[in-house]
Amino acid sequence: MYKYAVRRLLLAVPVLLLSSLIVFGLMRVMPGDALTALMGESGNIGERELAKIRKDLRLDLPYHEQYLLWVWQMVSFHPGDSIFTGEPIAVSLAKAVPVTLELATLAMILGLVIAVPIGVLSATRQDSAADYVGRVVAVSGLSFPDFWLGTLVITFAAIWFHWIPAIGYVSFWESPLRNLQQFLLPAAVLGFRLSAATMRMTRSTVLEVLREDYVRTAWAKGLEGRIVVYKHALKNALIPVVTIVGGQLGVLLAGTVVVETIFALPGMGRLTVEAILFRDYPVVQTNVMLVAGTLVSLNLLVDLTYAWLDPRIRYQ
Amino acid sequence: MATVTARAPAHVEAESDVEIGRLRSLWTTIRRKPLGAASAALIAILVLTALLADVVAPYDPLAAQPEIRLAAPSWEHPFGTDDIGRDVLSRVIHGCRISLWVGLLAMGIGTVAGMIIGLLCGYCEGRTDLLLQRLMDGIQAIPGLVLALAIVSVLRPSTTNAMIAIAMVIIPGNSRIVRGAVLSAKQNRYVEAAQAIGCRHPRIILSHILPNVTAPILVIASIWLGNAILIEATLSFLGVGTQPPTPSWGLMLSSTGRAFMEQAPWLALFPGLAISLAVLAFNLFGDTLRDAWDPKLRG
Repeated sequence: MYKYAVRRLLLAVPVLLLSSLIVFGLMRVMPGDALTALMGESGNIGERELAKIRKDLRLDLPYHEQYLLWVWQMVSFHPGDSIFTGEPIAVSLAKAVPVTLELATLAMILGLVIAVPIGVLSATRQDSAADYVGRVVAVSGLSFPDFWLGTLVITFAAIWFHWIPAIGYVSFWESPLRNLQQFLLPAAVLGFRLSAATMRMTRSTVLEVLREDYVRTAWAKGLEGRIVVYKHALKNALIPVVTIVGGQLGVLLAGTVVVETIFALPGMGRLTVEAILFRDYPVVQTNVMLVAGTLVSLNLLVDLTYAWLDPRIRYQ
Repeated sequence: MATVTARAPAHVEAESDVEIGRLRSLWTTIRRKPLGAASAALIAILVLTALLADVVAPYDPLAAQPEIRLAAPSWEHPFGTDDIGRDVLSRVIHGCRISLWVGLLAMGIGTVAGMIIGLLCGYCEGRTDLLLQRLMDGIQAIPGLVLALAIVSVLRPSTTNAMIAIAMVIIPGNSRIVRGAVLSAKQNRYVEAAQAIGCRHPRIILSHILPNVTAPILVIASIWLGNAILIEATLSFLGVGTQPPTPSWGLMLSSTGRAFMEQAPWLALFPGLAISLAVLAFNLFGDTLRDAWDPKLRG
């Protein structure tokens, strides 16, 4: 297991480096440079002032030095300042990351709570009304855009319950109840979207496992249905579900961008969208890289969990 | 040379047999699974709506009639009107054209580029494969929507740039699937035989390997089409895709849908329903294609 973990960790490093090169390169393919584009849009700024800002932001350095400097800044947790607000990016992130983390965790929990029981029910009662309802829910989850669901939730919550998303974030430690009130609906919207793929995967793996010989043996020796499903089948069926949950992490992180924007939650997603709209490229490149880093690390964690659950993988 | 000319007709015949076999198995699956038929019908309706938008739409999607602003759904305006009195139904119909067009082109560019990279990686293996696949890993490490947002931020928000961004998101996954299919197709004896008789690489790739790769590509492409429509709508919703006053489903939801949600919920309801139906149709059709053409995944 230790050897496998080290090998996977070593494989993740070049991927992250390549991602950083892609993000860095992307921010530099803009005709002229980011600053000229930004200033060109914001009004008349003299050549001298522009040169000064460019020097302050180290945009006058050769590309490879800019890249190394940026990697160093990222690694040392000082990714520079926002062009637009002047605030250090680390400070904005320190405020935004906990919001996204809370939203993502709640959404993931809600997603699993919806997905696994419905998936198991669909599989154990294949082709029954419950199965059809479960499958329709899953396909709807895949097809309904989260921004539409979010908009509808806000619209009808406002019409029926006169509820509008609170302006101004309240942290969990300040007021747990108000915090949960703020997060429950956005997490439910995101969780519903996440549950779709997990539900489909749970259904198909449980169906597959239920046809295995050892499950037939369990039935044959007269075990109770609940024990056969939950003790014998589900344990093995959940291994591929871990992978699909891992695969969902990208959807989860992308989903937070949309949901935070709709529900006015000051997380990473909203910070990124605002930075994109204001063309605040240091913030964009830092946030995108941070998201990529998180995704790679979480995937690594999922792979390691998978290897721990299924020892055959470690020896492949 | 004589051998090659003698085999050509047989090969062509075999290929057309494969095509007929595929269409037949698709038809059987569609008949067996009513959801497949429903999705195919829905896609046909969407395509016709997009093509005939000018004829089908009852009003000009850009014509404002302030005197009937925020009118509720009625016989004259079945989906109601928006904040400046534009007919929502006509805008949804014209939005269908934008969504399908962006989806199709993005999916087309992404699929072709992904296929070329996948073919190169799978066929050449070695260093090219290692380099290109690590590059694809690097791109895939960034979540699709976040990558699309970053690309649009560099290129400036517009429909065309959203399309390019979506295509970039599609490429890595497609290249990986094609690479896998190529690697397994290369194991076939007839590919070895073609190499042994001295066929050139392009010929081996085009006539012996590519036909093996088309089924997974078409399945993935149909699923990606739904996703591409969804990403375009999301980008437009976030304000970095299609720009006003062009009618785009995502933009309609964000610009008027959210602003007037309490007074006029239909502004958010209908464009969202259109996006969901389109994505649902392509997802279900993709499932049907997979059931028909990919025996390994057939339940």
